Amino acid sequence: MPVLLDVFVLGSLVLSILLTIQSAYTLYLMLYTWDSPESHSAAKAPAEFLPPARSFTVMLPARHEEDVIQTTIERVVRANYPAHLLEIVVICKTDDQGTIAQAEEKIARLRSEGVSNVNVLTFSTPPTNKPHGLNVGLAATSHQIVTIFDSEDDIHPDIFNVVNTVMLTENVNVVQSGVQLMNYDSNWYSTLNVLEYFFWFKSRLHYHARAGMTPLGGNTVFFARNVLERAGGWDERNLTEDADVGIRISSMREPVRVVYDDRYVTREETPPSLNHFIRQRTRWSQGFLQTLKKGDWTRLPTFEQRLLAIYTLMFPSIQTVLGLYVVVSLATMFTIKTPVLVAITLSLPLYLLLAHLLLAIIGLYEFAAAHHLKPTWTTPLVMIITYLPYQWVLSYASVRATIRELRGINNWEKTAHVGAHRVESAPSRSAAGAKIG
Amino acid sequence: MFGWWRFDRILLLASVAAGALTHGYNLFNYPLYITDEGIYIQQAWAVLREDRLSPYTYFYDHAPAGWLAIATWVALLPGQFQTFGNALNTGRALMLVCHVISTFLLYRITQRLSGSRVSAVVATFFFNVSPLAVFYQREVLLDNVMVMWLLLAVFFLTSGREWRDGDLRIVTVILSGLAFGVAVLTKENALFFAPALTYVLFKRLRGRMNYRFSMGFWSFSAISSISIYFLYATLKNELLPSNFSFDLNNPPADHVSLLYSIWWQLHRGEGTILDASSPVWRFSLGAWLPKDSFILAAGAAATLVNLAVGLLSHGRKREGTIVGALALSYGVYLARGSEMLEFYVVPLLPFLAMNIGLLLGWCVAVLPNRIRAIPAIILVMVFTLNPLWGYVLVIDEFGHVVPHDLYKLGQTYMQEQQLQWIRQNVPPDAKLIIDDDMWADLHDVKPYYRFAHSHFKAASDPDVRDKLFGKDWRNIDFIVMSNKMRDAMTLNNADGSESWILQALDNSTRVWSVQHGDVELEVDKVNG
Repeated sequence: MPVLLDVFVLGSLVLSILLTIQSAYTLYLMLYTWDSPESHSAAKAPAEFLPPARSFTVMLPARHEEDVIQTTIERVVRANYPAHLLEIVVICKTDDQGTIAQAEEKIARLRSEGVSNVNVLTFSTPPTNKPHGLNVGLAATSHQIVTIFDSEDDIHPDIFNVVNTVMLTENVNVVQSGVQLMNYDSNWYSTLNVLEYFFWFKSRLHYHARAGMTPLGGNTVFFARNVLERAGGWDERNLTEDADVGIRISSMREPVRVVYDDRYVTREETPPSLNHFIRQRTRWSQGFLQTLKKGDWTRLPTFEQRLLAIYTLMFPSIQTVLGLYVVVSLATMFTIKTPVLVAITLSLPLYLLLAHLLLAIIGLYEFAAAHHLKPTWTTPLVMIITYLPYQWVLSYASVRATIRELRGINNWEKTAHVGAHRVESAPSRSAAGAKIG
Repeated sequence: MFGWWRFDRILLLASVAAGALTHGYNLFNYPLYITDEGIYIQQAWAVLREDRLSPYTYFYDHAPAGWLAIATWVALLPGQFQTFGNALNTGRALMLVCHVISTFLLYRITQRLSGSRVSAVVATFFFNVSPLAVFYQREVLLDNVMVMWLLLAVFFLTSGREWRDGDLRIVTVILSGLAFGVAVLTKENALFFAPALTYVLFKRLRGRMNYRFSMGFWSFSAISSISIYFLYATLKNELLPSNFSFDLNNPPADHVSLLYSIWWQLHRGEGTILDASSPVWRFSLGAWLPKDSFILAAGAAATLVNLAVGLLSHGRKREGTIVGALALSYGVYLARGSEMLEFYVVPLLPFLAMNIGLLLGWCVAVLPNRIRAIPAIILVMVFTLNPLWGYVLVIDEFGHVVPHDLYKLGQTYMQEQQLQWIRQNVPPDAKLIIDDDMWADLHDVKPYYRFAHSHFKAASDPDVRDKLFGKDWRNIDFIVMSNKMRDAMTLNNADGSESWILQALDNSTRVWSVQHGDVELEVDKVNG
């Protein structure tokens, strides 16, 4: 028995050290943009816009989005960009008659106003998922730059000007612009969920872009058409086709420019219920595992990039261990008699956990200041109480994803959208930025 | 290659070399080894040899990072404690390393804040050459290690392109917080510098893009590193006193407690600056001013002037506020009347020197650029060469110009002789009352004197007092008297705890002694 105990303590010790390093590294990634003024200014959108030159294909993949699809079309159509340079396609499967009808109705109204650059594109072949729809869309459209918005997206009217300017001035073929969940006070997990997006798009993704290994987001991402065609489009069997295509594009040595400017982010909402949230997270975790298994990352040019890819794709699994390990380390520290130095080492992941909590609380005020919001004094308190449960939910989703993957279950668990972010944010979305010429 | 050897690099190198010279030359001979040096070395010995923080019951009198650093240093050396001849010399060699690093940091910080090489050179000159500074900085003191960490924390906070309002990397901020945390874990009085440091950070980054994260993570890294001390006590079940009793008249008997020790320290007043008999006056007049009145008087005056200029300048001379606040915040600690020892002046010295340097830099700024260095050169030359000012040269009682005692006098050889006499004439199983300065050498070099304990421990530690000596003077074989040890014993005997040892001294015969100047050492055999 003492031998088993020693092995347990030794294992805990090794795990503590590894998790401490991992947590410190993640903390650095999350603070990356704020760490240096260069990173911060590199993340910004251009202060002035060049005249529109690039033409855009906007793909709106939708499934059972009857409630929100008309608003989404409206926002894209009303963007501050010449209509002849915008081609908008709503992509639906033929069996989704509700969404198709709503989209057709909106298109008819627009046509009566003389707006004719919106169409519905349908497909009937399996699989029924987003990447398949995107591939169908890619084949049926023709403009230079291909972009995707989700049905619930609240886009900034100047987003095309931002991307047009960045592509022209910086000569890049892929641009990922920021996506931001907004409804931070909707429920117990929404604050932490919102902040995950905030840190991912505002900071961490910039680190990835600089490293040349960028798992792209699912929308507000802009590709030169030829880049997508060279990459072979989206992987229809992958649950995170966005991250997957990003890694494949990175392995083609194609640089990705990440823009996170608080003014121009695409606004979204957190999943409406815990069930939906868990399903969404399960899909992401499983998709990352699939991308890892598939091995396209092995074609990344450098060892550091491959290492970063492994780390990123395994991140949900590591998070599982961290979330659960905190409890184990606390129990070990105070119940098993170990030398004090060992006990202090066991406590290190706990310190890092507190550092992450502090990061989230300060992040809340950064987020609120950037978007002119005023969190109440109870919000950080709720965050403190819900921080660990939130980690455990993520752990659960990750375990669930692993089980699904092992069992070969690969269906798309769709996230519902209710438009919670739109109610609050609509008035503040006035156009900003100036045009040259 | 030539770029590296720019003028300011040469000045920096010269300043660091001067520090190495003034502190390294005669380091092992002067001043006399003191009790506190012995205590820290003995605790580092316990870390390396016994895997614990003290060979006796550790009662949280100080946080342990200082002697953990000494233990690390010793562990890296080929001859361990004996690498430089004896354990205290080995500790003093580390102090030399700390001083060299501190000099580098002081130079760079002063240069950044003042924007003046003259200020940096003058500040490091006083830090390196002031006899008051050299005297205590050579000794193995936690304060010397703490000053290094503290300066490192300030160094990080003032790094980057523009210390006044330029961006600062969060990683640098975190490193500063960690360095400050380690400074506090080395010597708790570093805490008094916290307001000045947070002022620097706050003023620099307010309104910058990473202001919130910087303030948050500086505090977090400092607090979390300090909290490890509390975690340690918790894990040892020594955080709280038994029955939550903080009664200062009845210390907890069954186990020590960190919070009780802090509570006890906070209530150890010895009279404020308003009380003429308080230690701050006793040491100022008795120990510090005779060693160097200039750095104290000029430093204090410069501190007040800098602070006033800084505060009245509406931010244009913020460096005055910062440097003044650094000196003043610790000065307030000294003046508030806590328990104090002679060497507590150490953390004040770099900041007094910095204030003098800054003020002189401002003064010479009115001169044409080409002649700005001249006043500084004259000042350095006068202090170095004029024996009347007593920095490097002095006039002895015969009217001769001779080097300062710091650079010529040997005192520790007497303590070496005392140790040698013990080794040759006292059996290793004898029960000795000693001072802490020779503890590590008696316990680390064969034959080990396992029953050699300091009079402080013999008076207070139950294991030594009751189990070994039975609190009976007849059980003592020898008393090894360090310089002025009888005074220390008498001072420590307010509650009668040393009476039985003093009784042994009264019933003993002097078997060895040496006297030179005002130093007198002896060994007494107890006639039991």
